[in-house]
Amino acid sequence: MIEALLQTLLNGAASGGVYALVALGYTLVFSVLGVINFALGALFSLGGYLTYLLMGGRISANGGLPGWGLPQGLSFTPALLLAALLTGLVSLVVERLAFAPLRRRRAEPLLYLITSLGAGLVLVNLLQMLMGAEGYAFPATALAGLPDALQVAGARIRSVQVLLLAVCAAAVIVLTLWLERSRSGRALKAVAEDATTARLLGIDSGAMLRLAFLLSGALAGLGGGLIGVSISLPGPYMGISYGLKGLAVLVLGGLGSVPGAIAGGLLMGLAEALVPGDASGWRDALAFAILFLVLLLRPSGLLGRRQVEKV
Amino acid sequence: MTAPPLLELQGLVVRYGAVTAVRGLDLQVRSGELVALLGANGAGKSTTLRAISSLVPVVGGRVLWQGVERTGCRTETTVRLGIGHCPEGRRVLARQSVATNLELGAWLRRDRAGIAADLERCYGLFPRLAERRRQLAGNLSGGEQQMLAIARALMGRPSLLLLDEPSLGLAPKLVAEVMAALAALHQEGLSMLLVEQNATAALEIADRGVVLESGSISLEGTADALLADAGLRASYLGSG
Repeated sequence: MIEALLQTLLNGAASGGVYALVALGYTLVFSVLGVINFALGALFSLGGYLTYLLMGGRISANGGLPGWGLPQGLSFTPALLLAALLTGLVSLVVERLAFAPLRRRRAEPLLYLITSLGAGLVLVNLLQMLMGAEGYAFPATALAGLPDALQVAGARIRSVQVLLLAVCAAAVIVLTLWLERSRSGRALKAVAEDATTARLLGIDSGAMLRLAFLLSGALAGLGGGLIGVSISLPGPYMGISYGLKGLAVLVLGGLGSVPGAIAGGLLMGLAEALVPGDASGWRDALAFAILFLVLLLRPSGLLGRRQVEKV
Repeated sequence: MTAPPLLELQGLVVRYGAVTAVRGLDLQVRSGELVALLGANGAGKSTTLRAISSLVPVVGGRVLWQGVERTGCRTETTVRLGIGHCPEGRRVLARQSVATNLELGAWLRRDRAGIAADLERCYGLFPRLAERRRQLAGNLSGGEQQMLAIARALMGRPSLLLLDEPSLGLAPKLVAEVMAALAALHQEGLSMLLVEQNATAALEIADRGVVLESGSISLEGTADALLADAGLRASYLGSG
């Protein structure tokens, strides 16, 4: 009984951690640009597939290059980190193609929604052309060296969920420390708070925006790789549902708030995990019901600021 | 041959949509000079400063820095050239500490020792900031925020400091304190272009004054002459 509860809570915290990564990805770009990057879900998928490929996984018979794979695969940790980095770089390309032209023309925020959604669809379709539409499972040896289960307080729990939670926690801690303590992190916060003032201090707001896109993409890519290895890659559209859930978490926690994104992610993950297995079809309904309820009581989200303000 | 002025505006024109905010402004600030830019609300004072820092596009005319044309260069470049801008409404970074605000003021500098020395200099100039260095800037009083905004601009080690209404919203005692700090900086040789609605306070520390009306100069002269000018007193200085 205790064992089941512990495992359930851990499952919830682990998927909540991934939601928090996605929500932080949105938060970074939102805080600087004031718009939502709808391509983030697609970048999440990309991170999952890149991790798979970097570990030496082969493309299926229905893919664009049937049977192709890297001659030599990496082990999970370097593959995940490299995939996150590459996803961050693709995120920079998305910024260049879908955001920068609009920024130069000082376009309406609504237009970013369309172009980023479009960029995301293009990415998902490219993935589908290359990899095929069916799902992929990581090889059973993907996490060789990691025991299947851990003993915690007399209970056996799946260690892959512990890994997930640990990586998410590490990413969140590194990101927070960077924002609070480092020179460039503080400059990014300055641009987010007041772009005009930041310019008057000599801070290049364009460079900071690109940095935000890079990090945001890397966070999404990290999430995709983690979900891939812990569950599977159900198809190129996998990231879309995580992207939507991340969006819900973003609003739940309070638009633009870093602690809000983390708290919102954990709350969402735990709430979902507490839905009994035979009612799992209700999971998403519950998640969005919680969102509804929170917004009714606190329109600016759990940790959001009263007025619409940015990080 | 004399050296070119630090800053020279030649026929500056700035528009906001259909509204012309600055129409053909000629202005010079020489090295070491404190020039007060005066005028009523909407006369184009802030816009002039914003154009110098390239925050708004220049439609006509030229901006020269040490004799070299720099019209329309990037804002970062103006900072790099040595133009510090202390914006209207203070605009401190409310969610970061006083110390971080000051450190970000030195964003473009790499000389750690010089930055540390200037930080101490700022704390010496405004001891209240030293007491509150760990606090969030948003929790400071209005006067302290104004001091922080000035100190932050100084951290970039500017050759010319643009000040946009530093006395706005401050109690008279604090206005005097801020003006005294500016006078001390002027004594040390810092050049300044000071936009003020409180014309008397500005002229008392300035070398020269320029009065704007609807985007062009209506009156200019030495600070003493302007202070003595009865017409100016009536139209701009009010009872103050």
